Order: sequence, then C-alpha cells, then structure tokens
Amino acid sequence: MTKQRNRFFDNFFFYLLIIIIAIYLLFPFYWAIVSALKNESELVRTPATLWPQNPTLQNFRAVLTNQSFLKGIGNSLIVAGTTTILSLLVGSFAGYALGKLRFRGKQPALYIILAMTMFPQVAVLAGLYSIIKGIQDLDKNIAWLSWFDVPTTLLLVFAYMIFTLPFTAWVLTSFFKGLPTSLLQAAQVDGATYSQTFWQILLPLTAPALATTGLLAFINAWNEYLFALTFTLQEPNARTVPVAISQLSGKIARQEPVGEIMAGALIITVPLVILVLIFQNRIVEGLTAGAVKG
Amino acid sequence: MAASPSKLSELALSEERTARWLLVPTFVILFCLAIYPLGRVFYLSFTNKRFASDQAVEMVGFQNYRDLLSVTVRELPKKLDENGQPILKDGKPEYELWTRVLPREPRRYRAAWEFDFFGKRYVIGATNADFIRSVWDTIVFTIIAVALETILGLMIALALARRFFGRGAMRTAMLIPWAIITVVSSLIWEWMFKSDRSGLFTMLLNRLGFIEDSGQITWLVNPALQLPSAIAIDVWKTTPFMALLLLAGLSTIPKELYEAANVDGASRIRQFFSLTLPLLMPTLSVALIFRTLDSLRVFDLFQIVFGENRYSMATFTQFALVAQRDMGLSSAVSVIIFIILFAFAIFYMRTFRVEIDD
Repeated sequence: MTKQRNRFFDNFFFYLLIIIIAIYLLFPFYWAIVSALKNESELVRTPATLWPQNPTLQNFRAVLTNQSFLKGIGNSLIVAGTTTILSLLVGSFAGYALGKLRFRGKQPALYIILAMTMFPQVAVLAGLYSIIKGIQDLDKNIAWLSWFDVPTTLLLVFAYMIFTLPFTAWVLTSFFKGLPTSLLQAAQVDGATYSQTFWQILLPLTAPALATTGLLAFINAWNEYLFALTFTLQEPNARTVPVAISQLSGKIARQEPVGEIMAGALIITVPLVILVLIFQNRIVEGLTAGAVKG
Repeated sequence: MAASPSKLSELALSEERTARWLLVPTFVILFCLAIYPLGRVFYLSFTNKRFASDQAVEMVGFQNYRDLLSVTVRELPKKLDENGQPILKDGKPEYELWTRVLPREPRRYRAAWEFDFFGKRYVIGATNADFIRSVWDTIVFTIIAVALETILGLMIALALARRFFGRGAMRTAMLIPWAIITVVSSLIWEWMFKSDRSGLFTMLLNRLGFIEDSGQITWLVNPALQLPSAIAIDVWKTTPFMALLLLAGLSTIPKELYEAANVDGASRIRQFFSLTLPLLMPTLSVALIFRTLDSLRVFDLFQIVFGENRYSMATFTQFALVAQRDMGLSSAVSVIIFIILFAFAIFYMRTFRVEIDD
C-alpha cells in the first residue's frame, strides 16, 4: 500500500517537473503571441495582462505593410537560400572526398574543416569589411565597371559561406562515410567513373542528408546578425530580416513598436519552427552527428 | 584475378587526384573568406587605419594593443576631514574619486571597476576601460551561462531519458527555443524584462508582493542586473540544445550496465556518478567546447538588449569598427578574441583528449 502511494507521489512530482520544464521552454513564445495580439494601449497598461482583452490583428497588418520588413524577408530568403545551395554543392564535393576516397593529407584536411566549423566570425570582421568595401568602391571608381553594381546581398552570400561551408562539408563527410563502400566498388567494377559514381549513386542516396544539412545551414544563415548588421550599414536595401526587425520603426506606435516587433517576430519564426518540427528527428540526428559517436 | 601492381597504384593515384580536385573549391573559398581576411586583420591591427577616411595609413607597432591592454590597479584613499579622520557616511567610509589616483601621463587611464579587498578599496584602471570590462563581462557571462546550461541541460536530459506519456511532445517543445532566431528571442526577452509593470517579470514580482505598484526594476539598465538578465536569456535559448545533445549521448549507454548495477545494489546516485557521468563524458566535453566557444563570441544578444550600454567582446569589436571607425583598434580586438578562443579550445582539447577518428 505504502509502496503504491510512493509510486504515485513519484509520478506526481515527475510530471510536475515535466510541466514546469515545458512552461519554462514555451512561455516566452506564448508571451510573444499574446503581445502581438494586444493593441497599443493594452501593451503599455500596468499591470500587464496574461491574455489580450481585445485581441486585434492590427500589429500583423502593420508589419505586413512595412516595406523595410518585407524587403528584409525577401533579402533573407535570397541570401540564406543561395548560401545554402552553394554550400551544399561545394560541401558535398569535399564530403565525398573526405568520407569515401583515400588520399594522402586527409587527416590534416579533416582537422582544418573541423577547426573552421568553430571559426569566430568576429575575428575577420574588419578584414572582410575592408574587402567588401574594396569591391564596392571598385565598381564605383572604375569607369567601365560603373554600370555593374555588385549587390551587397551577393557579398553577404559569400561572407556567410565562412560558417555554412565548413558545417555542410563536415556533416556530409560523416554521412558519406556511413554509406557502404561495397556500393562504390561495385560501381567501379562496372566501369563507372568517379563523377558517375558521385552523381548517380552517392548523391541520390544522400538526398535526405542533404535536406537536413541544408535546413540547418539555412537556419544558420537566416539567423546571422553580425555580418548583416555591419555590412549593410550604408545599404538599407540589402538588410536581412534580423536587421530589419531590430530596427523596425512603428507605424502605429510612437514609441518602440513592441506589438509590431512581436508580430514580425512570429511571422519570421513560425515557418521555421514548423519546418524544424517536421524534420525534427533528422535535425536531432544532424546536430548530434558531429558530437556523439554512436 | 589479381590486378598488376602498376594498375593498382594507377587507380590509387587517380583516386588521389580526384580527391584533390574535389577539395579545391572548399579550400579556395575558405582561404578567401577566413585565412586571407584573418591575415589582413592581423596586419591592420598594427596600423592606425581608420574606416572611411583619407588619412594616410601608418604602421604604429603595438600601439593598438598597448591601448587595449594597459591595466593598472591603484588603492583609493579614504576621504579625510580637516582633522585627518575618515569621513563616514552611513557608517561606511567615503573614498576619493578614481581621477585622483589613476595616471594621466603618457596616456589617460579610466576606471574599469572598483572592488573592496581586506577593508581597502581598489580601482582597476585601463586606458580602454570599455574593452577591459567587455573581456571580463564576456568571460563571467560564459562561465556562469555554460555552467547553468550544462547542469539544467543534464537534468532535463535525465528526466527525458525515462519513458513517459508525452515524451515525444516534450522533445518537440525543446526544439522551439532553439528554432527561434537569437535576435528575435532577445527582442522577446527584452520586452519581458521591461522595467515597469507592463513587463512580465516586474508584474510577477509585483503580484507576489515583492515590489510596490509604482516600483520599477531596471533589469537591463541596472549594472548589477545586466549580466544576470543576459545569462537568463542565453540559458533559455541554449539549454534545450544542450539537453538534446546529452539525451543523444545518454541513449548510447547500454541498458545492461544499469541492470548489472541494480543487481549489485548500487544506489541511483552512485549509478549516476560512477556510470552515467563517466560514460557521458565524451558527449559532455564536445558540448562544452561548442557552447564555450559560442558563448565567448556572443554578439546578437548583447547588441539587442544592451546596445552600447554594456559590451561583450564581439559587440565591442563591432562598435570600434562602425561607430568609432577605428579599423586598427577593432582589428587588434579581433586578434585578441581569436587568441582567447584559441587558448580555450586548446585547453579543452588537452583536458578531454578530444580526437577525431578517421
């Protein structure tokens, strides 16, 4: 009897703990939703209400007609999308070589890629900025180049590969390594060239891995703030969405437009959260691929 | 049928050639984006180059580093009245201003912070007080945040390792803080930390009776509350990631070991310290490395919630570059950050003997 009661209390406290953890994890997200649905006067009301009294969509309407915010979403899609595709392409070449081929100097190459995944972006800030400035000035100062305007978004794409490329190369290396070598040998016996083996056998097999890795690289590029903030300082038209939302100036509110910021936050977060939830099992695998040896 | 040796080596050679060619694009890109700019930063750190300026660039040697790293500690004398007795206010002695004790020549020192030690008050002065404070703040932030994340993450992972109703939903919920971009989560928390009762935390403390209705808590402005607030935001954002990594590590520990431990009558706590923790060590060490290096270069969070009120090393670098337009100084900060991160990485690798298997 007492043992059963102990069991009951055990379970009770365990579920209480789980509920507390769940509230802790989800509450800020809930608070953003509630704040986005409040009108301006309720947002500054004291004390704050836990539930909107007169829920309204005006914050969403305001932010969805905000040109700099919309431009930011467009820029982010272009920058993060292009970065992801390029990193997957180049990274899969490297991953194939490092994961499946034998050659001298493999160990140092692996170490360099791994070290690069931890490379601090801030360490090259001034160096990259001066290069980017140089490229931008080049087409302003040279007459026959002046018609060609290097878009800052393109420069951001290249800058972002500093962190997406080592990541895709590293993760894809471990995926390629996991594929059975017998498959390659069979292809070789059949007289397939390396490029045929790569395009026709390995790439289709790694498609799921490419999707996961691509999603993670996309999220990283979508999140990036340091380069985006610094390099678009004089190029408001090239601002990506993290920069746009942090500099959002309100249409309705005279002060800091909290409601609109929260609405914008949800608009750019929810699609990502849904994608992450769809791919969640693969993402956890992808994230732990480098960290845990099975 | 055995292939002839020359045929074999030819195959091996062609494999090697293919591999080299496949690696060329990656290494060319990484050279252009990382190695070359890093070299440039290193060079710039020895110059007085200013951003968007026509001023001639000169080599200034270690000037930028001297400017950043000159630190001195001086004792602050007590304020004395005409009789030579210390002036007391509320029973505590008053101290002279730091301007009295810090050197002005050849370069002017400013107070980074003051501290009491054995009944005396000292002031730490630096020619660039903002930078010294940013290094100290970033290291304190990193140590406390990573420690909390590890402990909390381990607790959550252990709870989720059990099979229970709703486990899948919990794992899903854990991905949400991770999936929210840092800029956005910082904005949400900044809003929750609003100082009056329209902010969540002030409202809750008011409801619980800790502060009056008109009371304010300046979470993000009060210097004593700034770092704890920033740590709270970071812990919320990254603990789930830590927990997921540790959960994956836990799942690789064979169940039979626990069965054997139960047969031997080992207590739960004993099992944790002699079984779980040692076997989790490889995962834990890798997670610690990643989190520490990540946290030392924290930028988004500090930039959003503090702007130019309080710097991390990374926000200071960016501030020196774009606001002060001092490329030389900013580059020197970058080099120092790089060295600090490198030292931490080497320290960890040595301590945990991390190896990559081929």
